[in-house]
Amino acid sequence: MVAEFARSRSLGLGGTGARIGHLLDGERIFGYVLVAPAVAYILLLVGYPFAIAVWFTVSNATTARPIAEFTGLTNLLAVLDDDIFRRALANTFIFTITSQALQMVLGTILAFLLLQNFRGRRIARALIMIPFTIPIAIGAMAWTWMLNPTYSVINWMGVHAGLFTEGPNWLGEEYPAMISIIIVNVWRNLPFSAVVLTAGISAVPQEILEAAHLDGANWWVRWRKVIVPIIAPILYIALLFSLVFTFTDMTVVWLMTRGNPVGETHVIASYAFQTGVVAGSLGRGATMSLFLFPVLLVGAILLLRNLKARTID
Amino acid sequence: MAVLAQRNVSHSSGYRLRKVRNKVLFWAVLALFIVFACFPVYWMFITTFKEVNDLYNLQNNPLFFHLPPTLDQVRYLFEKTNFSIWVENTAEVGFVVVLITVLVCVPAAYVLARSRFPGSGGLSMGIFLTYLVPPTLLFLPLSQLVAGFGLVNSKWSLALVYPTFTIPFCTWLLMGFFKNVPKEITEAARVDGCSRLGAMFRIVLPVSVPGILTIVIFAFTLAMQEYVYALTFVSSSDEKMITLGVVTDLIRGDVFFWGSLMAGALIVSIPVAIVYNLFMDTFVRGITGGALK
Repeated sequence: MVAEFARSRSLGLGGTGARIGHLLDGERIFGYVLVAPAVAYILLLVGYPFAIAVWFTVSNATTARPIAEFTGLTNLLAVLDDDIFRRALANTFIFTITSQALQMVLGTILAFLLLQNFRGRRIARALIMIPFTIPIAIGAMAWTWMLNPTYSVINWMGVHAGLFTEGPNWLGEEYPAMISIIIVNVWRNLPFSAVVLTAGISAVPQEILEAAHLDGANWWVRWRKVIVPIIAPILYIALLFSLVFTFTDMTVVWLMTRGNPVGETHVIASYAFQTGVVAGSLGRGATMSLFLFPVLLVGAILLLRNLKARTID
Repeated sequence: MAVLAQRNVSHSSGYRLRKVRNKVLFWAVLALFIVFACFPVYWMFITTFKEVNDLYNLQNNPLFFHLPPTLDQVRYLFEKTNFSIWVENTAEVGFVVVLITVLVCVPAAYVLARSRFPGSGGLSMGIFLTYLVPPTLLFLPLSQLVAGFGLVNSKWSLALVYPTFTIPFCTWLLMGFFKNVPKEITEAARVDGCSRLGAMFRIVLPVSVPGILTIVIFAFTLAMQEYVYALTFVSSSDEKMITLGVVTDLIRGDVFFWGSLMAGALIVSIPVAIVYNLFMDTFVRGITGGALK
């Protein structure tokens, strides 16, 4: 039946098509030829630029003078000596870890809510997905407007609910600005965590959970010892993506505070943009943006290793 | 049945109370999450349609309309800014990005999903990891490369660069679709004398049209909402794509045109939000690389 279908489809092959087809018929050649465009594109526009970036870190290139001399570790030392950069480095970790932790906890709660059977579940899910579905730059702008020093609707609500008498200048003061950035990151990525967790949890076989329940395992034990080990692979991948994208994102910071007040809210990515693109110092900027690459690479390899070991089980 | 009913009756009113309490708690927490998620969109919406006098009047309750809703801000967006040019640019660049993505991804995903050859496993892992290379790592060298191609301050620089993230993502996604087409079909075709290429074009691609349409949609929307590369490569207003235009061009010096800015934000968000809501599970599958079946 299947062969019949296949034969009827293959009869239409013309002369030249057949000849090219036969040339490509070795599995190896066929494979390499079809993968080649993708590999070429990535090598040209990811691999090659990456190599240039590495060269920038040890040279004194600027946008005005991209052909530069080798300057060794000058950039690295200058960057390490820069107070704003050190602050940005700390901020990057603070923002990523705090928002990741909040996402994990809130995402788990949200996933369990969405797994209940209730009327309007699809609508509730769609509404909760919204922050993740709109472009990040747009979301950041909406929050900037909500946190506007004069017209902040959040402060208006806070004042009228009796929470405070005036409300902070959210994006103009150090700690409120840091909190705002974390909130926007959580707002944006929470739906992703929730979806991943929902998909994972609903794939856990019900019988195993019931068996654990009968054996007297409470919800915490069921969560730690049954659900988490089963959904670990998807959790690792989701965590990897979430970490990398929060770690390297500059959109939220750039649109909301531009690193202000006085460079206190920069993250590495936004400060690298400020230095490399706005100020045109390619060497310094590249040194900053590559600064965390080794950390990310090691983290990614460890996560993927762990994942592979688990999926083979 | 009777036993069950009896048991229900024998449950104390405390049981029922607990049930009600759980239910109230459930809806309250869910409502909190929904408000947190949706309030910024409500705020975009109400800002878009408010009269300027209403919007900037601190005496009014900002959550509701005090003057009748107006289309002035939307009109300003279309008539006094380059908004329609940004829409055109987005369509043009998006089209080229989709074209490159499909031409490159379909063959790559096909062989990576269905053939085994030396290095195929490493290649698919490599392509997957490319998606993890963030724009903030590459914007500086790419700006030099773009200059080398003579594309400084041109929207076509984006058409060149965006496939760097659409290709890995879409290849990975498409591999999932191709893996689901039974191997027996192509094997049968091969036995009957069909070439490998013929089997791909005549047997597998026709049944994978939904998968290809999905990557078309993702490639377009990923390109449409990108911000970092756009900000780096393009500065003149009439070369901008829609997202960058909305978040940069409606700020003149220190003056933010919040009404029109939010109008533009809403217009960009609605189509993307609908698409992503419909394809959310596919999107997550694409990201997680089928780590969970």
